[in-house]
Amino acid sequence: MALISPEDQETLKKLFEEKLTGDVSITYFTQHESPLIVPGRHECSYCKETREILEEVTDLSDKLHLTVKDFVADEKEAEQMGITRIPAYVMQGQNKGKVRFFGLPAGYEFSTLLQSIIDVSTGKTQLSQKTKEALNTLEQNLQVQVFVTPT
Amino acid sequence: MAVENEHITADVVEVSEFVELAQRYNVQGVPKTVVNDTVEFVGALPEPRFVQQVLQAATKKEPEQGKER
Repeated sequence: MALISPEDQETLKKLFEEKLTGDVSITYFTQHESPLIVPGRHECSYCKETREILEEVTDLSDKLHLTVKDFVADEKEAEQMGITRIPAYVMQGQNKGKVRFFGLPAGYEFSTLLQSIIDVSTGKTQLSQKTKEALNTLEQNLQVQVFVTPT
Repeated sequence: MAVENEHITADVVEVSEFVELAQRYNVQGVPKTVVNDTVEFVGALPEPRFVQQVLQAATKKEPEQGKER
């Protein structure tokens, strides 16, 4: 069953057609989905739904490419990308810095996800010239974590 | 900001799935932004203020003790 309604899918398809320029790769770290309950294994509550949403979104444009990785089997890659908890998805396109998401993209986070896909695709944002100049003075790395909830 | 600048890593975290992070960063209202574990603020700020807060983290070395707006 699709998580995104057919009407919304159409809307998103048009949005992506209009706004996307460059390709965006999304690397999604999740856990291996098993029909068995394995005692002692930490069950990731929303990993499956997150994968389904990401698949539905990336299916809506040829410019979007999803790669699904297993947090355990692909731990070296997870480490390289600095991923320590899942579900986690990292976007790469025209962005200069890292753009990462953690958790089910529901509610507020979903629209943030869409806008991020567009920004990463074009490499352009709506930030003012002043802001860009201020950022150019940066010499050290900064991690900006934004905590949100679905409602 | 991460799109524009290679020094920035932007992490969007859906906090109800990561309870230990909510506790670690004492997230009581959202959105809550934490920069380099040193500067933090709650709520959506106008762009110039947001940037000012983020850049403050670049000049700090020690985590903020206790007081926050």
